[in-house]
Amino acid sequence: MPIPQQFGRGDKMGRGPYEKSGLIRETSLHPNKTKVEKFEIPLYTEEKKDDKIVRNPIAYDFIVDVELWYLPYGKKDDPDNSIMWKKYTKQINLAKGGK
Amino acid sequence: MKFFKILLIMLFIVLPLTLFAKSQDKPKKAKTIAELVKMYDSSSCKDCHSDIYEEWKKSLHARSIFGPEHVGRTAATFKTTIELGLKDWQASGVKKPEDVRVKHLMICTKCHLPQLEEAEDSVAQEIVKHIYKFVDEGDENSAAILQQLNINCVVCHNRNAIIHKWTEGYPQKGVVYGTKDGDHPDSTYKKMKKSSVMKESILCGQCHGLGPNFEFDNPSQCATLYGSYLWSYVSEGGTKTCQQCHIQESKLGHNMQSYRSKELYEKAVDMKVDAYAYLWRDVVTPTPAAHVKVELTNKAGHVIPDG
Repeated sequence: MPIPQQFGRGDKMGRGPYEKSGLIRETSLHPNKTKVEKFEIPLYTEEKKDDKIVRNPIAYDFIVDVELWYLPYGKKDDPDNSIMWKKYTKQINLAKGGK
Repeated sequence: MKFFKILLIMLFIVLPLTLFAKSQDKPKKAKTIAELVKMYDSSSCKDCHSDIYEEWKKSLHARSIFGPEHVGRTAATFKTTIELGLKDWQASGVKKPEDVRVKHLMICTKCHLPQLEEAEDSVAQEIVKHIYKFVDEGDENSAAILQQLNINCVVCHNRNAIIHKWTEGYPQKGVVYGTKDGDHPDSTYKKMKKSSVMKESILCGQCHGLGPNFEFDNPSQCATLYGSYLWSYVSEGGTKTCQQCHIQESKLGHNMQSYRSKELYEKAVDMKVDAYAYLWRDVVTPTPAAHVKVELTNKAGHVIPDG
């Protein structure tokens, strides 16, 4: 229940259990349901050459890291209250050459 | 005349005796933390059930009003509830920590220490004093005292072991409720009785609840798991119980864990990721980009996270 409602009314999130009595927005993962998120990541720097926009690759080889964190108090730098649940790493490449 | 004499005897001797007996039946409330700890003492359980006792000691149930070991996050939240909640609410009757009574703490202790119902306001006062001493001054003695108050064997296997009390009767003194009937070799808990709910999710649902606790003058909401278990897991065909995943399949036994435990979180969520780089043409501009697709599947019997 990531965004509980303060006293079950209005647009404010409840701070603690003593204030929570509803839901403003539910973003939890529900049982036996799959949530899909897609990310498009630009891999370029942009410049103008002869009045044309040119997008140059920042590199050709990349490492993609995807981490799933449990952050009950919302902070990664809180060692007692932050746990990385899953990590995925993959090397991806842009082909060199061609047009 | 003889009739009146008998009536007088009845009034002066029998009636006071009856009233005295009635007051003896009424369970005495704890006046101090030490008395409440003694009323719910489960230390003798470890003589025969040492493995289970050691498992339980590692769990958050063993420090239910203190919170994670050394951190004491739950104790800190009690203080926040007093400072930012109770003191701020105009009709709560709390202007300073010394005004906090059992009824005020019950919005938290309904689950974190249900046996507080069997204590006088002096115990609430003592708890509050130790919460402030630990949170403000880091007092280790207060931390140790707060950790004596917990959800232990007696709470689940006696006090909370019968839910439908009009149907099955009230939990009896000296009985440990579990999976068998018979004698129990203990000087305090001499009998075992089979509980109809010990292996059912509803046992856990008493605290890991449905949502706002509307029975309070000012409802609180902490745990919502049993609600999501019923309406989002069972409703979709789920058949496992809380105990199956958290006690048996985790192999953690009475060290019932959740989001902080590798045994649980590794099984709870499946994460699939695919990623690749490509060259997109934004009209005429070649544009290097990466596509990352993340799929998360919750395999637990409730929403993740709850709260």
